[in-house]
Amino acid sequence: MNNIIIFAGSSHPTLVEKICENLSIKPSQVKLGKFSNGETSIDIGESVREKDVYVIQSGCGHVNDNFMELLILINACKTSSANRVTAVMPYFCYSRQPDIPYTAKGAPIISKPKHSAVKESGNTTEIGSVLTTHKPVSQRSRKSIDVAIENTLSSLSLDRSTPRILKSEDNIQRSSSNSRIPVIPERDGTSSSEAAGALFNTNNSGYKLWVAQAGTLIANLLTTAGADHVITMDLHDPQFQGFFSIGVDNLYCKPLIQAYIQHRIPEYKDAVIVSPDSGGAKRSSKVADALGLPFALIHKERRSQILKGPPDATLASGGGVPLSPKPLISNLSGSELKHSMSASKFVQTTMLVGDVRNKVCILLDDLVDTSYTITRAARLLKDQGATKVYAVVTHGVFSGDALNRVAQSAIDKIAVTNTVPQDETIAFLGKNRVDVIDVSRVFGEAIRRIHNGESISMLFEYVT
Amino acid sequence: MATNSIKLLAPDIHRGLAELVAKRLGLKLTDCNLKRDSNGEVTFSIAESVRDQDIYIITQVGSGHVNDRVLELLIMINASKTASARRITVVIPNFPYARQDRKDKSRAPITAKLMADMLTTAGCNHVITMDLHASQIQGFFDVPVDNLYAEPSVVRYIKEHINHKDAIIISPDAGGAKRASLLSDRLNLNFALIHKERAQANEVSRMVLVGDVTDKICIIVDDMADTCGTLAKAADVLLKNHAKSVIAIVTHGILSGKAIENINNSKLDRVVCTNTVPFEQKMKLCPKLDVIDISSVLAESIRRLHNGESISYLFKNNPL
Repeated sequence: MNNIIIFAGSSHPTLVEKICENLSIKPSQVKLGKFSNGETSIDIGESVREKDVYVIQSGCGHVNDNFMELLILINACKTSSANRVTAVMPYFCYSRQPDIPYTAKGAPIISKPKHSAVKESGNTTEIGSVLTTHKPVSQRSRKSIDVAIENTLSSLSLDRSTPRILKSEDNIQRSSSNSRIPVIPERDGTSSSEAAGALFNTNNSGYKLWVAQAGTLIANLLTTAGADHVITMDLHDPQFQGFFSIGVDNLYCKPLIQAYIQHRIPEYKDAVIVSPDSGGAKRSSKVADALGLPFALIHKERRSQILKGPPDATLASGGGVPLSPKPLISNLSGSELKHSMSASKFVQTTMLVGDVRNKVCILLDDLVDTSYTITRAARLLKDQGATKVYAVVTHGVFSGDALNRVAQSAIDKIAVTNTVPQDETIAFLGKNRVDVIDVSRVFGEAIRRIHNGESISMLFEYVT
Repeated sequence: MATNSIKLLAPDIHRGLAELVAKRLGLKLTDCNLKRDSNGEVTFSIAESVRDQDIYIITQVGSGHVNDRVLELLIMINASKTASARRITVVIPNFPYARQDRKDKSRAPITAKLMADMLTTAGCNHVITMDLHASQIQGFFDVPVDNLYAEPSVVRYIKEHINHKDAIIISPDAGGAKRASLLSDRLNLNFALIHKERAQANEVSRMVLVGDVTDKICIIVDDMADTCGTLAKAADVLLKNHAKSVIAIVTHGILSGKAIENINNSKLDRVVCTNTVPFEQKMKLCPKLDVIDISSVLAESIRRLHNGESISYLFKNNPL
């Protein structure tokens, strides 16, 4: 293959090696690193003039670093007169749009009955008077935020106005949430219920939280950096392609998944394909149709009662929230605790559509991130009498404590593709419980076909 | 005179400067929430309506997770834009990737240009920054850029804190000669220059002093101090040439890597940085650090920009 250059981003070098092996070429020389101040530095070791350049970078690990590295690499190739630069993103970061904020955290505070308002304001001024912008999400980010707090602390000590910031520290200890829905900022001075009410439009006037939708931005940034083409796999929203003004090839993992089910799941002929949420129903039903298998769906019902209790189930597929409303409760005290506990039972209406009794279930999803959705689905299936639960997932991001949850879940075996590095998954769950589906052939073939100007639609249906 | 009002937005990390600016303007920072998901992605939400408002996003990029800060900023800009803000101004005193502003070898990225393009793509209409590493970076943008100077604040600091009658202004490299000579003119002081030969990035090999520093308080002036290797070596050279003492004043104290160690082990009396970069926690580790507060300059520029007044006054004068 002439004039082709493949650069490996630092996110997933092994996948690049495999793709290059399939193309029988070598990845090109590039030095990736960081300057001492944390800025990304790259050094391209080969001429790219008039070449067809492919930059392979998955949206995993330290997402923002990897994404910036990809942008800088694309830009460097473009300014070095590359003929065409294609961004290959096996897993496309920021492809999941955050939910609309109508069930955001803190919603219960607004909809709490009026009579508890006095108590509540007493409690919230005590515990809740913090700058909620300091709410961290994961262990990983907690460290950086601690540093940040330190910064703010010391910077504010310049003008001696520390007290309200100081409070935010104990908030950090307690708060942890897993939903992608933003948390209501609670203000000091005003009681948080008032603030929340103002934010969430309780009086049917005022303003609802505006949530950033990063999708278009990410698409535009890639175009701005100089990408001429994008190759990705199993986009969470197929509409994402419409955000780009350049060509996007969304490869499907479906043929690989079908082949995996046929070859590696011995009892597949008696199995049921299950979608863990309604969002993935279409994808799963297609696989079920192709294999001639029955199909079941897990549906999370969300009634209006939810507003009275903590919203501990979210729409985000692949995302989700723990069964127990811990983060919220930790911010409330005694009486409220009871209140939210009693309210939380309304939320637990996950229901199964379809029959799985005495059957093998194959859970299909495009993305496992926090793994709440899939582990909860597996539990439900076992409770409904499924004999065995397999999970087949395209992108196994497994962030935070996800691997631990999967290990303790009812999932008997999980199969993920290597769009995201899976070494840690195998190490954690053991070889017998994890199968890694190799996608390098699909990507290799797609690159070959795009480079040669051939159609790639054949890849959508058949395994190469 | 604008008919809409100012909204100040700031990310949750490095909020100190934004709080100071807000205080100066007598405004509160707009409620907003940046959330980092466990997979590392950022979610951002604004809790107030910003429709048709004049948005100022005040952000500080220090050392460390620069890319996180950059993407957070871009997402904030984009969210404001899609929320129908009238004008979005980014206040980014320490412009990230400012040093990668040219193709210094083949196939090197011009990341500063990429940053400029990305900010514009995200939807920013105006940029306020301070002491750009190269003022030509302003030309990378398609939107107006106000490059403020820390010089008036530095002049004030020198007058108030240093016995400047016996002082001499030193430029640690040829590139900074212009900046240093301007400052020495403002203060009516002499000026000397250190010429250095750089072997690799972040490493300095040999230094030659041009000028006489005998029995003088040397004030090294630069736009940026990263690992501080240059400053430490410059101090050695100056003291070898019989200087009385050495003080360094830099605009952007990035102070990454071994900077604190270098300063503590060096013969520098004091290292003064403006608060464009958050380095407060480093001040605890290093008693030689001192800070110049430039929040007044930023606040005044925001006020002037919002009211459609000239900003050039700030280039020469320090607002109170």
